[in-house]
Amino acid sequence: MRKLSITALALGAALLCTPLAQAANARLLETGSSLLYPLMNLWVADYQKGHGVQITTQSTGSGTGISQAISGVAQIGASDAYMSDGQMKGTPMLNIPLAISAQQINYNLPGLNGIHLHLSGPVIAGIYSGQIKFWDDAKIKALNKNVASKLPHHEIVAVHRSDGSGDTFIFSQYLSFSTPSWKNGPGYGTTISWPSVSNAVGANGNPGMVQTCQSTKYCIAYIGVSFLNETNKAGLGYAALLNRSGNFVLPTAGTISAAAKALGSKTPRDERISLVFAPGAQSYPIINYEYAIVNPKQADPSTRAALKEFLSWTIDAKGGQQERFLSSVHFLPLPAAIVKLSKAQINKIE
Amino acid sequence: MIQRPSRLQRPNAQIALGGLTGIAALASVLIIVLMLVFLAIYAYPAIRFNGLGFFSGTIWNIGNQYGSGSVTRNGFSAEPGAIFGAIVFIFGSVATSTLAMLIAIPFSIMVAMALVYRVHPRIRPIANALVELMAGVPSVVYGLWGMVVLVPLIARLPGAGSGNGLLAATIILALMVTPIMVATIRDVVLAQSATIFEASMALGGTSWQAVTRAVLPSVRGGVVASVLLAFGRALGETMAVLMVCGSAINSLPQNIYQPVNTIAAVIVSQLESALTDSSGMAQRSLAELAVVLFLITLAVNIIARVALHGADRSEGQ
Repeated sequence: MRKLSITALALGAALLCTPLAQAANARLLETGSSLLYPLMNLWVADYQKGHGVQITTQSTGSGTGISQAISGVAQIGASDAYMSDGQMKGTPMLNIPLAISAQQINYNLPGLNGIHLHLSGPVIAGIYSGQIKFWDDAKIKALNKNVASKLPHHEIVAVHRSDGSGDTFIFSQYLSFSTPSWKNGPGYGTTISWPSVSNAVGANGNPGMVQTCQSTKYCIAYIGVSFLNETNKAGLGYAALLNRSGNFVLPTAGTISAAAKALGSKTPRDERISLVFAPGAQSYPIINYEYAIVNPKQADPSTRAALKEFLSWTIDAKGGQQERFLSSVHFLPLPAAIVKLSKAQINKIE
Repeated sequence: MIQRPSRLQRPNAQIALGGLTGIAALASVLIIVLMLVFLAIYAYPAIRFNGLGFFSGTIWNIGNQYGSGSVTRNGFSAEPGAIFGAIVFIFGSVATSTLAMLIAIPFSIMVAMALVYRVHPRIRPIANALVELMAGVPSVVYGLWGMVVLVPLIARLPGAGSGNGLLAATIILALMVTPIMVATIRDVVLAQSATIFEASMALGGTSWQAVTRAVLPSVRGGVVASVLLAFGRALGETMAVLMVCGSAINSLPQNIYQPVNTIAAVIVSQLESALTDSSGMAQRSLAELAVVLFLITLAVNIIARVALHGADRSEGQ
């Protein structure tokens, strides 16, 4: 069976000779987002089997991904956040969505980790700005009437990312879009100036967030959905979040794709848009596009051909968008309309 | 019988050697000065933008990268809302290093004395090898140990919160600098005062008197040098501290358990976000932090040298 498919690939290669011959022996470097890294690894391992191209993947961070794509060190900069207008003014880059990701709000509440607490943007903002100090605060109780008596009178330890992070970007967007005082205060970004809370802890990377929350009872943290298997293994609970329509929703394939659909038609041609706090009764409020940041000017023809071919494969329904890749990291495929936009952007590489 | 002078003893060789060593000595100073100068030039826009608020402010905010417009001070501009106050990090560096030295200095002196005078000669080579091994362990290994063993242990104490914080960073730093100090103090004592201990014991002193009155005063210069080396390492230690300090931002610790942050740790953890700041002011402010760390280390060195020099003089009179 496998032999057959290899033969078929070889035949295909012979037929499609020109682009493949150019792509052969090319080298691509992908660096950036730790959230996208597990998926990139799955993709590259599979893709390299049939293509004469060598792709190296690195988990560094979205900021590094963007800056190394700009400097030309890497051909693909992976980022959970789209580039700002200020950055685009400096060097115009393509922001190409490759998949849809989400983020859960985790906590470590002994005895209650099996229950999905109900939390809202304003309550989480209150916790991270130090106004809500204890787990049995009236505002948390009001959202969780069925377990109100079980909430402990214990200080909440708010954990945030200490490195520059696309997760911080979408988390702070949820707080900004749902809570005016947060919007006018810390605002949103890949790194933000956290309110002064003396017991708040900074952790490095998604793995650091999981580790810190696991060892810190009564903590709260925001962690990318590709780490859901790890947070479940660590025994952490995750919350049902209040969406724009006033419903509490869990991050499931259904609620994430509902949110993606709600904002899919609004996605502009350059695809730089936030999917956070989307309208719709079933929409999960913290989702985002995972971006490949790519310089549209690629001087070397074989690198250019290999890059375009790989990127096209990642967004193809028969390529990288297959469920066997995406479901293991809890990502969702791009809607058809977004695939079209991404294809158009890939074609701009010259 | 007159021996022919060897090649190195000939006058020309003497001059050449003198010249070469002179150039090498000058180069080592020049490299340090050039590093500081280039860092300062790079940081200059931040130095002007931040002004004296850099040394009094507790808020570190690279500004809104996704907002519009910019903020300008003293002719240099940054993202809207940008403000860079470094007191949290300066305090963290000085506090963690100083507390670590308070633990490490007496401990290191005692271990070094024990190694020289008290440990059985058969065990001594093993003990020495262990100390040198500890000094050679990469800092990230200490950090990992701190993260998975020390921090959860501290978290068990009542009121300790997450366990990441000032106490964890201090203990890790003390552990890291102790072997360096033990090794250098041990070598100095062996080289300079191997027999002083016995001599002073022979005069009827106790071993405590022998160490405090005879051995330590005779190796004071070496001890101070080793303390300086260790203090410099503690100030500059990055990874291990980053992994256990809790990365406090905008907030000073209220007790020894709470999160702190140091200059070295914050440069690493904020660098990536700084790279995305299109105004570049965040990167330059991190460079300003580096200049401050440089100057703190330099100041510690000068103060210690002056103190040592003064002590030697007063003793000589």
